[in-house]
Amino acid sequence: MKSKLLLIAMLLGSVLCVMALSGCNKSAAAVNPDAAFGAYDTEPDWNDASKFTPLGYQESQGKRIFYQYCVWCHADATPAGPSNRNNVTPVPPLMNDGEKLNGESDEFMQNIITLGGSALGKSAMMPPYGKTLSPGEIRAVISFSRAIAQPAYQRPGRPGSQYTTK
Amino acid sequence: MPAEEMGKLSDKVRLTFAVSTVVCVLVLAIAPLKDFRAEWKHYKRSFVKFAQGRPDTKKLLADYSPNIDQVWLPNMNVTDRCTTCHQGVTQSSLTDPSVPQPFRAHPPIPHNVRDWGCTICHRGQGPATEVAEAHETTLAWEQPILPAHFLQASCGSCHQADLKETPQLTRGRELLSRLNCQGCHKLKNVEPSRLGPDLSSVGVKVTRGWIYKWLKEPRTVLDKDGNTTVNGYESGDESRMPKFRLKEEEITALSAYLSVQKAKPIETYKINPAVIAAWGKKPSLISDGEVRFRQMMCTTCHPLAVTRGGETKLIGGNIAPELTKVGSKVSETWLVAWLRNPQAYLAHTNMPRYGWSDEDLYKVSQYVMNKLTDSDLLTTVPQLGVANDEEVQTGKRLFTDKGCASCHSMNGAGTQKDFGPDLTALGTKNASELEFGKAKIERNLVSYIQTKLQDPLSVNPAARMPQYTWNQADLDAVTTALLSQTGAAPTSALQHLVVPRKESSFQAVGSFGEVFERYKCSSCHRFNGYGGTLAPDLSYEGSRAQKKWIADFLKNPQTIRPALILRMPQFNMPDKDAAIAAEYLSLAVQKPDVNPESVDAKQFTPAMVSLGKQLYEVKYQCQSCHTIGSAGGYVGPNLNNAGNWLTPAWIEAWLRNPQALQPDTLEPRRDLTEEEIRALTAYLMTLRVGIKPQSASSAASTHAFAQGAGR
Repeated sequence: MKSKLLLIAMLLGSVLCVMALSGCNKSAAAVNPDAAFGAYDTEPDWNDASKFTPLGYQESQGKRIFYQYCVWCHADATPAGPSNRNNVTPVPPLMNDGEKLNGESDEFMQNIITLGGSALGKSAMMPPYGKTLSPGEIRAVISFSRAIAQPAYQRPGRPGSQYTTK
Repeated sequence: MPAEEMGKLSDKVRLTFAVSTVVCVLVLAIAPLKDFRAEWKHYKRSFVKFAQGRPDTKKLLADYSPNIDQVWLPNMNVTDRCTTCHQGVTQSSLTDPSVPQPFRAHPPIPHNVRDWGCTICHRGQGPATEVAEAHETTLAWEQPILPAHFLQASCGSCHQADLKETPQLTRGRELLSRLNCQGCHKLKNVEPSRLGPDLSSVGVKVTRGWIYKWLKEPRTVLDKDGNTTVNGYESGDESRMPKFRLKEEEITALSAYLSVQKAKPIETYKINPAVIAAWGKKPSLISDGEVRFRQMMCTTCHPLAVTRGGETKLIGGNIAPELTKVGSKVSETWLVAWLRNPQAYLAHTNMPRYGWSDEDLYKVSQYVMNKLTDSDLLTTVPQLGVANDEEVQTGKRLFTDKGCASCHSMNGAGTQKDFGPDLTALGTKNASELEFGKAKIERNLVSYIQTKLQDPLSVNPAARMPQYTWNQADLDAVTTALLSQTGAAPTSALQHLVVPRKESSFQAVGSFGEVFERYKCSSCHRFNGYGGTLAPDLSYEGSRAQKKWIADFLKNPQTIRPALILRMPQFNMPDKDAAIAAEYLSLAVQKPDVNPESVDAKQFTPAMVSLGKQLYEVKYQCQSCHTIGSAGGYVGPNLNNAGNWLTPAWIEAWLRNPQALQPDTLEPRRDLTEEEIRALTAYLMTLRVGIKPQSASSAASTHAFAQGAGR
């Protein structure tokens, strides 16, 4: 009789336990959206059309501005067909030329786009865009060029940060 | 039980009580434990740890509280607790991609996160406090977050006017309009498009066999790699006519019905027999016809398949039907009548009325009928014979039942509306409201829309929707535009934030109105926001160009922008029409603050000219984009004839601020002094060349260029 009581009490307790605990250990699994839909936008690799670089919001705004203003001289193929790149001396760097551009700081890139080549002792063929594009738009273009850079661009480390380049 | 034992507890009873007490305490302890272990608290604590490992700990933790954070905007019906876990959203030092989620800062966007919350753009469940419930569809929560790739859909919920920042949404709306989705569905913020051709007289244009072929195999084919081909040629453009899943007898009946539609007999035109006699025997007839076809720049609007290096591609514009096999489609009498006066057959066509000499008409029509053909086109078509009454009656019924009447009008009957479901609130639909049928796809709105667009039968075997072909980019664009269809703005506070689409129209009146209609200027050019986008915006043409130049250009269009493949057609415009157009454009179509008379070219001195030349060549190096002589870049227009073409007032205003005259121009605005502006204008006004009449040799080079540039 008493052992029965004990059994019932224990059973009741364990049921309560299970009920209370259920839902407690729901895994905090990260949301894993489809890779193709995960990126805000993509840019095909300039040398290999089967590869894509995922772009974030700022980079995709840079892409839009690049294809309106910069593509004519900083790419070998343009939306209108032929490129103006070889009409210009010295020949402007391709926007994905990591070897040339990875070494330049964001500040330098911002300045040369804003003020033009002649203000920084470079070719006057690069016109200033500071009165046409906003500083944010210019930053977006730079982030786009960093995203498509080959070899890949490595962000310079911030002193004291554990989250600098891997 | 003996009385002395009453009230005495046995060991067993004690044990029972002890165990149940422990169990009770344990059960009671679970509640605070559960609360302590809540998912969001874990993120709260790890943010503190994360912040402590960074140099700007103090700044990062300035607003920290261990409780649930939320953005509460009662006016907009927003209660977003996303910032409980996404704690670094507004921290400018956390933008780097190496910062782990959920702590990374939001990229800079035009809206402030604190003022708008998260779910207005990202959708999902703002009040939820668990990762899965906030982001995904669960039993209790039906709205998952929008995948980043389709985020522009949310911009479109409020911004009905197109934004330059949302190209994918704009393209999607353009496709919804071009494909005339509104023929069957109700949609918001989509410009009404032109219908498919009126079929009232289609029987005089094409044969029954051709109609059969067209219905059986609409020209657009999608191969397994997702490339769209038109008549077997690669094309980036979509065909407007989708594929209807018609049975053999339905095709026979429809072809019968359509082949007897001869409401308007064609007005046959007799080409002067002397011309035919003189040209008919010439071996060069067809090739001369081709030269004329090229000179008139038919390919500016009509694409044509060109084979180069074993690869066949479509070259030319995409605003008119592809013509590679048109000689096997239309009858010669119809073609001649059409070329002379397209509007007589199809009132709403965009095709301009060219000025034709009998000679040109004969040469070009012979070229089209003999060269742009495919002898194999109709070989698979069975012998159909003359349409019988029964077939015609069945066809007539099918014409409405299959939805043909949603795009094509017939014998004055307007088109049928609301044939398909209302889609104005599609973007807000919960997964439970969608019909997935037997399709094995993810149960969410995005995959539903994409599957339905790609294969309507897979989600609903009884669907009437025809089969379209899409490349991935267009499919994603249309999906984005459909997701932006969220019905009425959710709350009254959002209602007045809606930016409506601008209605625009341009009314050309009087004798210019007739010229404007005859040459269909607005098919390619834009006037005050109305018209095509293929050619330059002419809203300020009167301020920009000199009257004499406009008249000369209309009679004999020259290439101003060397990089362009598509050029202004050669209309064979008579002097009178050119004069009317030049007069009207130069007087009535002006930028109010750029009066072409305001700057007198006579005041320019040789000293100003030489200073201007030096500025052009050395200080500003304009030659990187513009060509003078034969040297320079070809991004901007060729300036060889700037002195005859542009007004000095325009050049000055342009140099001061190009974007004020043409907002999307890529010429950057510079810091020029007034003296420099004067000098550059003086120099450009000295650049003049005489316009040479176009010769056959230049036409041949045009041909070569059109082929060479089509990559």
